[in-house]
Amino acid sequence: MSKAVTQEIPKKQMHSGKSWKRDFRLNWGIYLIYLPVFVYLIIFNYLPMFGIVMAFQDFKPARGFLGSEWVGFANFIEFFTRSEFSQVLRNTLVISVLGLSVGMVSAILFTLLLNEIKFPWFKKPVQTISYMPYFISSVVVAGMIINFTSSNGIVTNFLVDVFGIKRESLLTNPSYFWWINLFSGLWQGLGYSSIIYISALGNVSQELLEAAAIDGANRLRRTWHITLPAIRPTIATMLILNIGSLLNVGSDKILLIYNPTIYSTADVISTHVTRMGLERMQYGYSSAVGLFNSVVGTILLIGSNYLSRKLADTAIF
Amino acid sequence: MIEKLTPSRVIFNVINYGFMILLCIVCIAPVWHILMASFSDPRTMMATPGLFRWIVGKPTTEGYRIVLSNPSILTGYRNTIIYVVSATLLGVVLVTMGGFALSRNTRLRKPLTVMLVITMMFSGGLIPSYIVNMNLGLLGNPLALIIPGCINGFYIIIMKNAFEQISPSFEESAKLDGAGPLTILLRIHLPLVKATVAVIVMFLVVQNWNSWFPASIYLTRRRDLWPLQLFMREILVQNDTKMISAAEAASSASLVNNLVKHCVTVVGTLPILCVYPFAQKYFVKGVTLGGVKE
Repeated sequence: MSKAVTQEIPKKQMHSGKSWKRDFRLNWGIYLIYLPVFVYLIIFNYLPMFGIVMAFQDFKPARGFLGSEWVGFANFIEFFTRSEFSQVLRNTLVISVLGLSVGMVSAILFTLLLNEIKFPWFKKPVQTISYMPYFISSVVVAGMIINFTSSNGIVTNFLVDVFGIKRESLLTNPSYFWWINLFSGLWQGLGYSSIIYISALGNVSQELLEAAAIDGANRLRRTWHITLPAIRPTIATMLILNIGSLLNVGSDKILLIYNPTIYSTADVISTHVTRMGLERMQYGYSSAVGLFNSVVGTILLIGSNYLSRKLADTAIF
Repeated sequence: MIEKLTPSRVIFNVINYGFMILLCIVCIAPVWHILMASFSDPRTMMATPGLFRWIVGKPTTEGYRIVLSNPSILTGYRNTIIYVVSATLLGVVLVTMGGFALSRNTRLRKPLTVMLVITMMFSGGLIPSYIVNMNLGLLGNPLALIIPGCINGFYIIIMKNAFEQISPSFEESAKLDGAGPLTILLRIHLPLVKATVAVIVMFLVVQNWNSWFPASIYLTRRRDLWPLQLFMREILVQNDTKMISAAEAASSASLVNNLVKHCVTVVGTLPILCVYPFAQKYFVKGVTLGGVKE
């Protein structure tokens, strides 16, 4: 009933003080229901956002956000002039661009191939099995990687036999890390990341496909001209989101499997932040690195969204 | 659509089905290998290279006996169950309340939704969050694994969308009968969004079962509060099996360690692997719902 009444009130009156009072009188119960979430967001999301000021401080936990000494951009300058800077930035970019491109292309390819399978009794189990690795914890995946790439692990044995590489623990050789990370990520994420594309296939017009088939278009052409364009908005959306998080290479798995001998290829921004901040207690410095990360991420997100709007006519905001 | 089976089509199908089978094997093989190794004779195991298709040597449950009688593993299991249950309960209650409130037609609906969406796009980052939690006294406190992270803007938006699908006439007639918002939520709306609640529960359970990082930074020194994943990290990643083999004396420690590693992996992963075939449809739904809006 209240809804109907509210809608009848002219717009002008809606914005007067009176209607605020009215709103609270009618909806105080709803606001009360939202209160715990509101408090939660303030404490666990907005306080840390304001805590970002520590990026400009020589932060000492005992003095807090307000009492610590302000140092301007010193923390950022320290990051940019550090010898690790170029290494960390390069690793982050290589690892995420590799993961993003190979990951998306294989997920789309998998979706299209799966779409060609007409028997549900075959298709369903394949899907279920392909999701399985996603549900295994990073600790266990890391344990498997360490086990399989140890000097007499399965993967090492295979590579020694087939490609004749030197027998060693693969995780101590910097030149293998990107590949280990890429393939383990692919193993874990392929099935799960295809879910979104598989659901987008519902948008593909069956009539169009049939008409094209009657006109003599073969499979490949129908896929290329009908199926792919139909899921293009989804692809564009995923691309924008992925580019926006290009610098946020998940530290979860890397923190578990990397070690000082391969920092030259394995250390990324997020692991750098974790190590400097939580192990060496350089709070101000690490939040500056974290802030740099999110600023670049936001710029990339807005930029790719803009480009996508221009080029593909799809945007997420 | 009925398809003519041309020769090229047949070749394509053979390759495609073959590829799918290969993909499934690749997904399962590592897990199967570990399962088989966990029952294998450790001595024969060391001498057998390659993936295990079946148990090698004389089958043994010795590894499981060691793992399941180990106090640390049992502590980890108990703690994980406590964390998963409490974080999921708290999370699903808050998410439902938040989603419901944001789906109602109030004047603060827009600003509150914007405030929520902002938290999905920006975050203070790891270190400021750590400092805030430290000041809240969450260091060394089991609540650190329950309260922070139990809500996620994405889940609230999913829930809000689900509530918005419900026809307003339900609410209006309940109001005429004098029902307050909490009654409307619990008695009328909640039963109608059960499927979406299940989606949120599934996400929260899996996320909390597999989580290790928050525990590693907030409960570093409180072994008695560690979740299973941290004990597994110690054994599988840091290769520290002291706590296990101390009891087993030095006899054939390194052999037993290898067996124990496989058993720990199985013990820690089995519950989630048993649940996921039933949970997957909810995950599919969640991913799809999340993609539709925003």
